[in-house]
Amino acid sequence: MIVQQLLYGLSLGSVYALIAVGFALVFNILKFSNFSHGGVLTVTAYTGYLIATKLQTNLWVTLFLTACVGGVLALIIEFFAFRRLRKKQSPLIFYFVSSITMGLLLDNLITVYFSTNFYSYPNFFTNRVIQLGPYNIATTDTIMLIISIVALSALMLLIYKTKFGVAIRALSIDAQTLSLMGVNVNQIIIITFFISGFLGGISGVFLGINYTLYPMIGKLVVKGFIASVLGGLGNISGAVIGALLLGIMEVTLTSIGFIGSGLAPVVIFVIMLVFLIVRPQGIAGIIIHEKA
Amino acid sequence: MGFYLSILTFTFITIIGVTGIFLITGLTGLFSLGQASFMAIGAYTAGILMIKFQVPFVVATILAILVGLLFGLVVGLPTLRLRRDYIALVTFGFGEAVIAILNNLTSITGGAMGLSGIPMKTNFTLALISAIVCIIFARNYKYSKYGRQCMALKSDELAAKAMGIDVKRVKLTTFLVASGLTAYAGVLYGSFTTYVDPSTFGWTRSAEWIIILFFGGLNSLTGAIFSSLALGSLPELLRFASSWRLVIYAVIVLLILNFRPTGIFGEYELNLKTLKKDLLRTNRK
Repeated sequence: MIVQQLLYGLSLGSVYALIAVGFALVFNILKFSNFSHGGVLTVTAYTGYLIATKLQTNLWVTLFLTACVGGVLALIIEFFAFRRLRKKQSPLIFYFVSSITMGLLLDNLITVYFSTNFYSYPNFFTNRVIQLGPYNIATTDTIMLIISIVALSALMLLIYKTKFGVAIRALSIDAQTLSLMGVNVNQIIIITFFISGFLGGISGVFLGINYTLYPMIGKLVVKGFIASVLGGLGNISGAVIGALLLGIMEVTLTSIGFIGSGLAPVVIFVIMLVFLIVRPQGIAGIIIHEKA
Repeated sequence: MGFYLSILTFTFITIIGVTGIFLITGLTGLFSLGQASFMAIGAYTAGILMIKFQVPFVVATILAILVGLLFGLVVGLPTLRLRRDYIALVTFGFGEAVIAILNNLTSITGGAMGLSGIPMKTNFTLALISAIVCIIFARNYKYSKYGRQCMALKSDELAAKAMGIDVKRVKLTTFLVASGLTAYAGVLYGSFTTYVDPSTFGWTRSAEWIIILFFGGLNSLTGAIFSSLALGSLPELLRFASSWRLVIYAVIVLLILNFRPTGIFGEYELNLKTLKKDLLRTNRK
Protein backbone atom coordinates (compact mmCIF):
# COMPACT_ATOMS: atom_id res chain seq x y z
CA MET A 1 0.00 0.00 0.00
CA ILE A 2 2.75 2.38 0.98
CA VAL A 3 4.70 1.55 -2.16
CA GLN A 4 1.64 2.25 -4.30
CA GLN A 5 1.01 5.56 -2.55
CA LEU A 6 4.64 6.54 -2.96
CA LEU A 7 4.56 5.72 -6.64
CA TYR A 8 1.35 7.64 -7.12
CA GLY A 9 2.89 10.60 -5.30
CA LEU A 10 5.99 10.43 -7.46
CA SER A 11 3.97 10.29 -10.66
CA LEU A 12 1.85 13.26 -9.56
CA GLY A 13 5.02 15.05 -8.52
CA SER A 14 6.65 14.41 -11.88
CA VAL A 15 3.71 16.06 -13.64
CA TYR A 16 4.09 19.04 -11.31
CA ALA A 17 7.80 18.99 -12.10
CA LEU A 18 7.03 19.40 -15.81
CA ILE A 19 4.88 22.45 -14.99
CA ALA A 20 7.44 23.89 -12.60
CA VAL A 21 10.30 23.45 -15.06
CA GLY A 22 8.39 25.07 -17.90
CA PHE A 23 7.75 28.00 -15.60
CA ALA A 24 11.31 28.11 -14.21
CA LEU A 25 12.91 28.12 -17.68
CA VAL A 26 11.28 31.40 -18.63
CA PHE A 27 11.83 32.83 -15.17
CA ASN A 28 15.47 31.94 -15.48
CA ILE A 29 16.14 33.92 -18.63
CA LEU A 30 13.73 36.85 -18.40
CA LYS A 31 13.44 37.11 -14.58
CA PHE A 32 9.69 37.43 -14.35
CA SER A 33 6.98 35.00 -13.27
CA ASN A 34 5.23 33.80 -16.37
CA PHE A 35 1.57 33.53 -15.41
CA SER A 36 0.56 32.76 -18.98
CA HIS A 37 1.92 29.25 -18.39
CA GLY A 38 -1.44 28.43 -16.79
CA GLY A 39 -3.11 29.45 -20.05
CA VAL A 40 -0.81 27.10 -21.95
CA LEU A 41 -1.87 24.27 -19.64
CA THR A 42 -5.57 24.99 -20.19
CA VAL A 43 -5.32 25.22 -23.96
CA THR A 44 -3.15 22.12 -24.33
CA ALA A 45 -5.36 20.08 -22.01
CA TYR A 46 -8.29 20.81 -24.35
CA THR A 47 -6.19 20.36 -27.48
CA GLY A 48 -5.12 16.94 -26.27
CA TYR A 49 -8.75 16.03 -25.66
CA LEU A 50 -9.76 17.17 -29.14
CA ILE A 51 -6.90 15.30 -30.80
CA ALA A 52 -7.57 12.13 -28.85
CA THR A 53 -11.32 12.10 -29.49
CA LYS A 54 -11.51 13.51 -33.02
CA LEU A 55 -8.43 11.83 -34.52
CA GLN A 56 -8.67 8.68 -32.37
CA THR A 57 -4.93 8.74 -31.77
CA ASN A 58 -3.15 6.72 -29.11
CA LEU A 59 -1.44 8.30 -26.12
CA TRP A 60 1.97 8.76 -27.75
CA VAL A 61 0.72 10.56 -30.84
CA THR A 62 -1.63 12.66 -28.73
CA LEU A 63 1.19 13.65 -26.41
CA PHE A 64 3.56 14.53 -29.22
CA LEU A 65 1.04 16.56 -31.21
CA THR A 66 -0.20 18.39 -28.11
CA ALA A 67 3.31 19.17 -26.96
CA CYS A 68 4.04 20.70 -30.37
CA VAL A 69 0.84 22.75 -30.14
CA GLY A 70 1.96 23.90 -26.70
CA GLY A 71 5.34 24.92 -28.06
CA VAL A 72 3.81 26.90 -30.91
CA LEU A 73 1.35 28.50 -28.49
CA ALA A 74 4.23 29.63 -26.29
CA LEU A 75 5.87 31.17 -29.37
CA ILE A 76 2.65 33.03 -30.16
CA ILE A 77 2.46 34.26 -26.56
CA GLU A 78 6.06 35.39 -26.72
CA PHE A 79 5.39 37.26 -29.95
CA PHE A 80 2.24 39.07 -28.82
CA ALA A 81 2.93 39.59 -25.14
CA PHE A 82 6.67 40.00 -24.72
CA ARG A 83 8.43 40.71 -28.03
CA ARG A 84 7.73 44.44 -28.11
CA LEU A 85 8.34 44.81 -24.39
CA ARG A 86 11.75 43.23 -24.84
CA LYS A 87 12.62 45.52 -27.72
CA LYS A 88 11.69 48.57 -25.69
CA GLN A 89 13.43 47.18 -22.61
CA SER A 90 10.34 47.81 -20.53
CA PRO A 91 10.43 47.40 -16.76
CA LEU A 92 9.69 43.93 -15.38
CA ILE A 93 6.29 45.02 -14.08
CA PHE A 94 5.01 45.20 -17.69
CA TYR A 95 6.10 41.65 -18.46
CA PHE A 96 4.22 40.62 -15.40
CA VAL A 97 0.96 42.30 -16.35
CA SER A 98 1.35 41.06 -19.90
CA SER A 99 1.68 37.46 -18.75
CA ILE A 100 -1.30 37.75 -16.39
CA THR A 101 -3.40 39.24 -19.17
CA MET A 102 -2.35 36.54 -21.60
CA GLY A 103 -3.23 33.84 -19.07
CA LEU A 104 -6.64 35.39 -18.50
CA LEU A 105 -7.19 35.72 -22.25
CA LEU A 106 -6.42 32.05 -22.96
CA ASP A 107 -8.54 30.79 -20.05
CA ASN A 108 -11.48 32.88 -21.17
CA LEU A 109 -11.19 31.93 -24.83
CA ILE A 110 -11.46 28.31 -23.73
CA THR A 111 -14.46 29.20 -21.57
CA VAL A 112 -16.12 30.92 -24.53
CA TYR A 113 -15.61 27.99 -26.88
CA PHE A 114 -16.22 25.07 -24.56
CA SER A 115 -18.45 26.80 -22.00
CA THR A 116 -18.04 25.52 -18.47
CA ASN A 117 -18.97 21.91 -19.27
CA PHE A 118 -16.87 19.06 -18.00
CA TYR A 119 -15.15 16.66 -20.38
CA SER A 120 -13.01 13.64 -19.75
CA TYR A 121 -10.30 11.97 -21.78
CA PRO A 122 -10.93 8.61 -23.43
CA ASN A 123 -9.23 5.57 -21.94
CA PHE A 124 -5.87 5.02 -23.57
CA PHE A 125 -5.18 1.62 -22.06
CA THR A 126 -7.19 -1.54 -21.87
CA ASN A 127 -5.31 -2.76 -18.82
CA ARG A 128 -5.89 -0.24 -16.08
CA VAL A 129 -3.39 -1.82 -13.68
CA ILE A 130 0.00 -3.39 -14.06
CA GLN A 131 0.89 -6.36 -11.88
CA LEU A 132 4.38 -5.78 -10.54
CA GLY A 133 5.25 -8.56 -8.11
CA PRO A 134 2.89 -8.16 -5.16
CA TYR A 135 1.84 -4.63 -6.16
CA ASN A 136 -0.96 -3.37 -8.39
CA ILE A 137 0.03 -0.14 -10.06
CA ALA A 138 -2.21 2.06 -12.19
CA THR A 139 -0.99 2.04 -15.79
CA THR A 140 -1.47 5.76 -16.39
CA ASP A 141 0.53 6.65 -13.28
CA THR A 142 3.44 4.52 -14.40
CA ILE A 143 3.36 5.88 -17.94
CA MET A 144 3.18 9.46 -16.63
CA LEU A 145 6.13 8.91 -14.36
CA ILE A 146 8.24 7.36 -17.13
CA ILE A 147 7.42 10.02 -19.72
CA SER A 148 8.08 12.81 -17.27
CA ILE A 149 11.41 11.32 -16.25
CA VAL A 150 12.44 10.96 -19.89
CA ALA A 151 11.40 14.52 -20.72
CA LEU A 152 13.11 15.99 -17.67
CA SER A 153 16.32 14.02 -18.26
CA ALA A 154 16.39 15.17 -21.86
CA LEU A 155 16.01 18.74 -20.67
CA MET A 156 18.77 18.37 -18.09
CA LEU A 157 21.09 16.96 -20.74
CA LEU A 158 20.20 19.86 -23.00
CA ILE A 159 20.89 22.45 -20.32
CA TYR A 160 24.00 21.00 -18.74
CA LYS A 161 25.72 19.22 -21.62
CA THR A 162 25.14 21.17 -24.82
CA LYS A 163 26.31 24.48 -26.20
CA PHE A 164 22.74 25.68 -26.29
CA GLY A 165 22.44 24.90 -22.59
CA VAL A 166 25.49 26.99 -21.85
CA ALA A 167 23.86 29.85 -23.75
CA ILE A 168 20.67 29.55 -21.67
CA ARG A 169 22.62 29.56 -18.46
CA ALA A 170 24.68 32.51 -19.59
CA LEU A 171 21.53 34.36 -20.60
CA SER A 172 20.15 33.90 -17.10
CA ILE A 173 23.15 35.85 -15.81
CA ASP A 174 23.53 38.66 -18.30
CA ALA A 175 21.84 39.13 -21.65
CA GLN A 176 24.01 42.00 -22.84
CA THR A 177 27.33 40.28 -22.28
CA LEU A 178 25.99 37.19 -23.99
CA SER A 179 25.07 39.15 -27.10
CA LEU A 180 28.56 40.67 -27.11
CA MET A 181 29.89 37.10 -27.21
CA GLY A 182 28.18 36.70 -30.55
CA VAL A 183 25.19 34.69 -29.40
CA ASN A 184 21.81 35.44 -30.92
CA VAL A 185 19.91 36.22 -27.71
CA ASN A 186 16.59 36.53 -29.47
CA GLN A 187 16.90 33.04 -30.88
CA ILE A 188 17.76 31.56 -27.49
CA ILE A 189 14.74 33.22 -25.90
CA ILE A 190 12.43 31.94 -28.64
CA ILE A 191 13.73 28.39 -28.36
CA THR A 192 13.40 28.51 -24.58
CA PHE A 193 9.79 29.61 -24.90
CA PHE A 194 9.18 26.73 -27.29
CA ILE A 195 10.67 24.21 -24.85
CA SER A 196 8.65 25.70 -22.01
CA GLY A 197 5.46 25.40 -24.04
CA PHE A 198 6.40 21.87 -25.19
CA LEU A 199 6.75 20.72 -21.58
CA GLY A 200 3.57 22.65 -20.74
CA GLY A 201 1.78 20.69 -23.48
CA ILE A 202 2.83 17.34 -22.01
CA SER A 203 1.75 18.40 -18.54
CA GLY A 204 -1.52 19.75 -19.96
CA VAL A 205 -2.43 16.31 -21.33
CA PHE A 206 -1.47 14.62 -18.06
CA LEU A 207 -3.55 17.07 -16.05
CA GLY A 208 -6.45 16.43 -18.39
CA ILE A 209 -6.11 12.66 -17.89
CA ASN A 210 -5.73 13.00 -14.13
CA TYR A 211 -8.61 15.41 -13.55
CA THR A 212 -11.72 16.17 -15.54
CA LEU A 213 -11.44 18.96 -18.09
CA TYR A 214 -12.90 22.32 -17.18
CA PRO A 215 -11.78 25.79 -18.22
CA MET A 216 -10.16 26.57 -14.89
CA ILE A 217 -7.84 23.56 -15.11
CA GLY A 218 -5.01 25.99 -15.83
CA LYS A 219 -5.06 27.18 -12.26
CA LEU A 220 -3.30 23.91 -11.41
CA VAL A 221 -0.25 25.85 -12.53
CA VAL A 222 -0.23 26.92 -8.89
CA LYS A 223 1.31 23.51 -8.11
CA GLY A 224 4.17 24.47 -10.36
CA PHE A 225 4.52 27.80 -8.55
CA ILE A 226 4.57 26.14 -5.15
CA ALA A 227 7.15 23.63 -6.38
CA SER A 228 9.32 26.48 -7.70
CA VAL A 229 9.05 28.36 -4.42
CA LEU A 230 9.97 25.23 -2.48
CA GLY A 231 12.84 24.50 -4.82
CA GLY A 232 14.15 28.04 -5.08
CA LEU A 233 12.85 30.42 -7.75
CA GLY A 234 14.37 29.95 -11.16
CA ASN A 235 16.40 26.92 -10.17
CA ILE A 236 15.54 24.03 -12.45
CA SER A 237 16.82 21.05 -10.50
CA GLY A 238 15.44 22.63 -7.32
CA ALA A 239 12.04 22.89 -9.00
CA VAL A 240 12.11 19.18 -9.86
CA ILE A 241 12.94 18.17 -6.28
CA GLY A 242 10.32 20.59 -4.93
CA ALA A 243 7.68 19.18 -7.28
CA LEU A 244 8.39 15.55 -6.35
CA LEU A 245 8.20 16.46 -2.66
CA LEU A 246 4.95 18.31 -3.31
CA GLY A 247 3.43 15.29 -5.08
CA ILE A 248 4.35 12.92 -2.25
CA MET A 249 3.11 15.40 0.40
CA GLU A 250 -0.16 15.82 -1.42
CA VAL A 251 -0.83 12.10 -1.68
CA THR A 252 0.09 11.58 1.97
CA LEU A 253 -2.10 14.46 3.14
CA THR A 254 -5.03 13.25 1.07
CA SER A 255 -4.84 9.82 2.70
CA ILE A 256 -5.10 11.39 6.16
CA GLY A 257 -8.78 11.23 7.01
CA PHE A 258 -9.68 14.65 8.36
CA ILE A 259 -7.65 16.58 5.77
CA GLY A 260 -8.74 14.73 2.64
CA SER A 261 -8.31 15.99 -0.90
CA GLY A 262 -10.35 19.12 -0.14
CA LEU A 263 -8.17 20.65 2.53
CA ALA A 264 -4.83 19.33 1.26
CA PRO A 265 -4.15 22.60 -0.68
CA VAL A 266 -4.60 24.56 2.54
CA VAL A 267 -2.12 22.44 4.48
CA ILE A 268 0.36 22.65 1.60
CA PHE A 269 -0.03 26.41 1.52
CA VAL A 270 0.73 26.60 5.23
CA ILE A 271 3.75 24.31 4.77
CA MET A 272 4.96 26.64 2.00
CA LEU A 273 4.63 29.69 4.27
CA VAL A 274 6.56 27.96 7.06
CA PHE A 275 9.17 26.89 4.54
CA LEU A 276 9.52 30.50 3.34
CA ILE A 277 10.16 31.64 6.91
CA VAL A 278 12.69 28.90 7.65
CA ARG A 279 14.48 28.61 4.33
CA PRO A 280 13.52 31.38 1.91
CA GLN A 281 16.26 30.46 -0.54
CA GLY A 282 14.52 27.16 -1.27
CA ILE A 283 15.89 23.65 -1.42
CA ALA A 284 18.50 24.52 -4.00
CA GLY A 285 19.70 27.33 -1.76
CA ILE A 286 20.56 29.94 -4.34
CA ILE A 287 18.99 33.36 -4.12
CA ILE A 288 18.58 35.22 -7.36
CA HIS A 289 19.41 38.80 -6.67
CA GLU A 290 17.25 41.61 -7.86
CA LYS A 291 19.04 43.30 -10.73
CA ALA A 292 19.81 46.81 -9.64
CA MET B 1 -33.95 52.88 -12.02
CA GLY B 2 -33.25 50.16 -9.46
CA PHE B 3 -31.27 48.27 -12.08
CA TYR B 4 -28.95 51.20 -12.78
CA LEU B 5 -28.55 51.91 -9.09
CA SER B 6 -27.50 48.33 -8.45
CA ILE B 7 -24.97 48.50 -11.32
CA LEU B 8 -23.57 51.67 -9.82
CA THR B 9 -23.40 50.07 -6.39
CA PHE B 10 -21.39 47.16 -7.81
CA THR B 11 -19.17 49.63 -9.61
CA PHE B 12 -18.47 51.51 -6.37
CA ILE B 13 -17.55 48.25 -4.68
CA THR B 14 -15.21 47.50 -7.58
CA ILE B 15 -13.68 50.96 -7.15
CA ILE B 16 -12.83 50.15 -3.52
CA GLY B 17 -11.19 46.89 -4.61
CA VAL B 18 -9.25 48.59 -7.39
CA THR B 19 -8.12 51.27 -4.93
CA GLY B 20 -6.52 48.50 -2.90
CA ILE B 21 -4.82 47.15 -6.01
CA PHE B 22 -3.70 50.69 -6.86
CA LEU B 23 -1.87 50.89 -3.55
CA ILE B 24 -0.20 47.50 -4.01
CA THR B 25 0.54 47.49 -7.72
CA GLY B 26 0.37 51.12 -8.78
CA LEU B 27 2.31 52.61 -5.92
CA THR B 28 4.50 49.78 -4.73
CA GLY B 29 4.91 47.63 -7.84
CA LEU B 30 3.88 44.40 -6.14
CA PHE B 31 1.33 41.99 -7.56
CA SER B 32 -1.36 40.32 -5.55
CA LEU B 33 -3.18 37.62 -7.49
CA GLY B 34 -5.16 36.61 -4.44
CA GLN B 35 -6.68 39.99 -3.72
CA ALA B 36 -10.17 38.68 -4.41
CA SER B 37 -9.73 36.19 -1.58
CA PHE B 38 -9.49 39.10 0.85
CA MET B 39 -12.83 40.17 -0.53
CA ALA B 40 -14.08 36.65 0.14
CA ILE B 41 -12.73 36.79 3.68
CA GLY B 42 -14.53 40.09 4.29
CA ALA B 43 -17.82 38.93 2.80
CA TYR B 44 -17.84 35.55 4.54
CA THR B 45 -16.68 36.80 7.95
CA ALA B 46 -19.26 39.55 8.09
CA GLY B 47 -21.94 37.27 6.66
CA ILE B 48 -21.33 34.43 9.09
CA LEU B 49 -21.16 36.82 12.05
CA MET B 50 -24.44 38.45 11.09
CA ILE B 51 -26.30 35.22 10.28
CA LYS B 52 -25.06 32.87 12.98
CA PHE B 53 -24.31 35.26 15.82
CA GLN B 54 -26.70 38.15 15.11
CA VAL B 55 -23.81 40.60 15.38
CA PRO B 56 -24.78 44.16 14.33
CA PHE B 57 -23.57 45.28 10.89
CA VAL B 58 -21.03 47.83 12.13
CA VAL B 59 -19.37 45.42 14.55
CA ALA B 60 -19.35 42.65 11.92
CA THR B 61 -17.72 45.04 9.46
CA ILE B 62 -14.96 45.98 11.89
CA LEU B 63 -14.33 42.35 12.78
CA ALA B 64 -14.25 41.37 9.09
CA ILE B 65 -11.66 44.05 8.37
CA LEU B 66 -9.59 42.84 11.32
CA VAL B 67 -9.72 39.25 10.04
CA GLY B 68 -8.66 40.55 6.62
CA LEU B 69 -5.72 42.34 8.23
CA LEU B 70 -4.77 39.20 10.14
CA PHE B 71 -4.66 37.14 6.95
CA GLY B 72 -2.75 39.92 5.26
CA LEU B 73 -0.17 39.69 8.02
CA VAL B 74 0.07 35.89 7.72
CA VAL B 75 0.64 36.08 3.96
CA GLY B 76 2.67 39.26 3.90
CA LEU B 77 5.10 38.72 6.73
CA PRO B 78 7.04 35.76 5.27
CA THR B 79 6.85 36.86 1.64
CA LEU B 80 7.36 40.60 1.51
CA ARG B 81 10.96 40.45 2.67
CA LEU B 82 11.81 38.33 -0.38
CA ARG B 83 12.02 39.07 -4.09
CA ARG B 84 8.90 40.63 -5.56
CA ASP B 85 7.91 37.52 -7.46
CA TYR B 86 7.22 35.65 -4.25
CA ILE B 87 4.30 37.84 -3.28
CA ALA B 88 2.58 37.18 -6.61
CA LEU B 89 3.16 33.43 -6.47
CA VAL B 90 2.24 33.09 -2.82
CA THR B 91 -0.91 35.21 -3.06
CA PHE B 92 -1.98 33.07 -6.04
CA GLY B 93 -1.60 30.01 -3.79
CA PHE B 94 -3.39 31.86 -1.00
CA GLY B 95 -6.38 32.48 -3.25
CA GLU B 96 -6.61 28.77 -4.05
CA ALA B 97 -6.24 27.84 -0.37
CA VAL B 98 -9.02 30.23 0.68
CA ILE B 99 -11.35 28.81 -1.95
CA ALA B 100 -10.51 25.28 -0.78
CA ILE B 101 -11.40 26.26 2.80
CA LEU B 102 -14.66 27.88 1.73
CA ASN B 103 -15.60 24.83 -0.33
CA ASN B 104 -14.82 22.31 2.37
CA LEU B 105 -15.96 23.79 5.67
CA THR B 106 -19.51 23.14 4.57
CA SER B 107 -21.05 23.42 8.02
CA ILE B 108 -19.83 27.01 8.46
CA THR B 109 -19.54 28.47 4.96
CA GLY B 110 -22.16 26.48 3.10
CA GLY B 111 -19.51 24.94 0.85
CA ALA B 112 -19.88 25.20 -2.91
CA MET B 113 -23.58 26.02 -2.47
CA GLY B 114 -22.57 29.36 -1.02
CA LEU B 115 -23.69 31.35 1.94
CA SER B 116 -27.15 32.78 1.61
CA GLY B 117 -29.39 34.91 3.78
CA ILE B 118 -26.86 37.62 4.58
CA PRO B 119 -28.88 40.64 5.80
CA MET B 120 -29.03 43.34 3.14
CA LYS B 121 -27.32 46.33 4.69
CA THR B 122 -25.52 47.93 1.75
CA ASN B 123 -27.40 50.46 -0.32
CA PHE B 124 -26.43 52.91 -3.01
CA THR B 125 -25.66 55.74 -0.59
CA LEU B 126 -23.44 53.64 1.66
CA ALA B 127 -21.47 52.30 -1.33
CA LEU B 128 -21.09 55.79 -2.77
CA ILE B 129 -19.89 57.30 0.50
CA SER B 130 -17.53 54.36 1.11
CA ALA B 131 -16.04 54.66 -2.35
CA ILE B 132 -15.48 58.40 -1.92
CA VAL B 133 -13.90 57.94 1.50
CA CYS B 134 -11.63 55.19 0.15
CA ILE B 135 -10.60 57.34 -2.81
CA ILE B 136 -9.75 60.29 -0.55
CA PHE B 137 -7.87 57.93 1.71
CA ALA B 138 -5.87 56.47 -1.18
CA ARG B 139 -5.12 59.95 -2.52
CA ASN B 140 -3.82 61.06 0.87
CA TYR B 141 -1.84 57.83 1.17
CA LYS B 142 -0.23 58.49 -2.20
CA TYR B 143 0.97 61.95 -1.17
CA SER B 144 1.92 60.95 2.36
CA LYS B 145 5.36 59.88 3.48
CA TYR B 146 4.41 56.23 2.95
CA GLY B 147 3.14 56.78 -0.56
CA ARG B 148 6.33 58.52 -1.61
CA GLN B 149 8.41 55.76 -0.06
CA CYS B 150 6.32 53.22 -1.98
CA MET B 151 6.96 55.01 -5.25
CA ALA B 152 10.65 55.20 -4.48
CA LEU B 153 10.94 51.48 -3.84
CA LYS B 154 8.86 50.69 -6.90
CA SER B 155 11.32 52.30 -9.26
CA ASP B 156 14.48 51.16 -7.48
CA GLU B 157 14.41 49.06 -4.37
CA LEU B 158 18.16 49.13 -3.83
CA ALA B 159 18.35 52.91 -4.06
CA ALA B 160 15.35 53.25 -1.76
CA LYS B 161 17.10 51.05 0.78
CA ALA B 162 20.24 53.14 0.47
CA MET B 163 18.20 56.27 1.19
CA GLY B 164 17.21 54.74 4.50
CA ILE B 165 13.71 53.60 3.63
CA ASP B 166 12.63 50.56 5.59
CA VAL B 167 11.54 48.68 2.48
CA LYS B 168 10.04 45.65 4.22
CA ARG B 169 8.00 47.75 6.55
CA VAL B 170 6.63 50.06 3.87
CA LYS B 171 5.67 47.07 1.72
CA LEU B 172 3.95 45.36 4.62
CA THR B 173 2.06 48.52 5.65
CA THR B 174 0.78 49.03 2.11
CA PHE B 175 -0.17 45.39 1.73
CA LEU B 176 -2.07 45.46 5.01
CA VAL B 177 -3.89 48.68 4.14
CA ALA B 178 -4.95 47.13 0.85
CA SER B 179 -6.06 43.90 2.55
CA GLY B 180 -8.24 45.91 4.92
CA LEU B 181 -9.75 47.96 2.10
CA THR B 182 -10.50 44.85 0.06
CA ALA B 183 -12.03 43.05 3.03
CA TYR B 184 -14.30 46.07 3.47
CA ALA B 185 -15.26 45.88 -0.21
CA GLY B 186 -16.12 42.24 0.47
CA VAL B 187 -18.38 43.17 3.38
CA LEU B 188 -20.25 45.63 1.17
CA TYR B 189 -20.49 43.06 -1.63
CA GLY B 190 -21.80 40.30 0.63
CA SER B 191 -24.42 42.42 2.32
CA PHE B 192 -25.57 43.81 -1.03
CA THR B 193 -26.01 40.54 -2.91
CA THR B 194 -27.12 38.74 0.30
CA TYR B 195 -25.53 35.62 -1.20
CA VAL B 196 -21.89 34.69 -1.80
CA ASP B 197 -20.28 31.56 -3.18
CA PRO B 198 -16.59 30.64 -3.48
CA SER B 199 -16.44 30.71 -7.28
CA THR B 200 -17.01 34.50 -7.29
CA PHE B 201 -13.62 35.09 -5.73
CA GLY B 202 -11.24 33.17 -8.00
CA TRP B 203 -7.99 34.49 -9.42
CA THR B 204 -9.87 35.82 -12.44
CA ARG B 205 -11.33 38.59 -10.34
CA SER B 206 -7.94 39.54 -8.92
CA ALA B 207 -6.48 39.56 -12.42
CA GLU B 208 -9.43 41.62 -13.64
CA TRP B 209 -8.69 44.30 -11.05
CA ILE B 210 -5.08 44.49 -12.15
CA ILE B 211 -6.28 44.82 -15.73
CA ILE B 212 -8.67 47.62 -14.77
CA LEU B 213 -5.83 49.43 -13.03
CA PHE B 214 -3.58 49.09 -16.05
CA PHE B 215 -6.27 50.27 -18.40
CA GLY B 216 -6.44 53.61 -16.61
CA GLY B 217 -2.74 53.97 -16.05
CA LEU B 218 -0.51 52.41 -13.48
CA ASN B 219 0.52 55.62 -11.79
CA SER B 220 -2.75 57.45 -11.79
CA LEU B 221 -5.47 57.11 -9.17
CA THR B 222 -7.74 59.17 -11.39
CA GLY B 223 -7.16 56.65 -14.16
CA ALA B 224 -7.94 53.74 -11.84
CA ILE B 225 -11.26 55.31 -10.84
CA PHE B 226 -12.26 56.20 -14.38
CA SER B 227 -11.46 52.78 -15.72
CA SER B 228 -13.31 51.05 -12.86
CA LEU B 229 -16.31 53.22 -13.69
CA ALA B 230 -16.04 52.42 -17.38
CA LEU B 231 -15.05 48.75 -17.27
CA GLY B 232 -17.14 48.08 -14.18
CA SER B 233 -20.45 49.36 -15.51
CA LEU B 234 -20.15 48.65 -19.26
CA PRO B 235 -20.39 44.84 -19.03
CA GLU B 236 -23.57 45.03 -16.98
CA LEU B 237 -25.14 47.23 -19.63
CA LEU B 238 -23.90 45.04 -22.49
CA ARG B 239 -25.09 41.77 -21.00
CA PHE B 240 -25.24 40.01 -24.36
CA ALA B 241 -21.47 40.07 -24.67
CA SER B 242 -20.82 38.92 -21.13
CA SER B 243 -18.80 35.83 -21.97
CA TRP B 244 -16.57 37.87 -24.25
CA ARG B 245 -16.08 40.61 -21.67
CA LEU B 246 -12.79 39.36 -20.18
CA VAL B 247 -11.48 38.40 -23.61
CA ILE B 248 -12.08 41.94 -24.84
CA TYR B 249 -10.49 43.46 -21.72
CA ALA B 250 -7.44 41.25 -22.12
CA VAL B 251 -6.98 42.20 -25.76
CA ILE B 252 -7.33 45.91 -24.94
CA VAL B 253 -4.77 45.67 -22.16
CA LEU B 254 -2.33 43.79 -24.39
CA LEU B 255 -2.65 46.58 -26.95
CA ILE B 256 -2.16 49.21 -24.25
CA LEU B 257 0.90 47.44 -22.90
CA ASN B 258 2.46 47.26 -26.31
CA PHE B 259 1.63 50.70 -27.62
CA ARG B 260 0.90 52.96 -24.68
CA PRO B 261 2.42 51.29 -21.63
CA THR B 262 1.53 54.14 -19.29
CA GLY B 263 -2.19 53.46 -19.68
CA ILE B 264 -4.78 55.98 -20.74
CA PHE B 265 -4.13 58.54 -18.03
CA GLY B 266 -0.40 58.07 -17.58
CA GLU B 267 0.78 60.08 -14.61
CA TYR B 268 -2.17 62.47 -14.80
CA GLU B 269 -4.11 63.17 -11.62
CA LEU B 270 -7.28 65.20 -11.61
CA ASN B 271 -7.27 67.91 -8.95
CA LEU B 272 -7.87 71.63 -8.74
CA LYS B 273 -4.44 72.54 -10.02
CA THR B 274 -4.47 70.32 -13.11
CA LEU B 275 -8.09 71.18 -13.77
CA LYS B 276 -7.23 74.89 -13.87
CA LYS B 277 -4.32 74.20 -16.18
CA ASP B 278 -6.50 72.16 -18.52
CA LEU B 279 -9.20 74.82 -18.62
CA LEU B 280 -6.71 77.58 -19.38
CA ARG B 281 -5.16 75.52 -22.14
CA THR B 282 -8.52 74.96 -23.82
CA ASN B 283 -9.34 78.65 -23.52
CA ARG B 284 -6.15 79.68 -25.24
CA LYS B 285 -7.01 77.51 -28.20
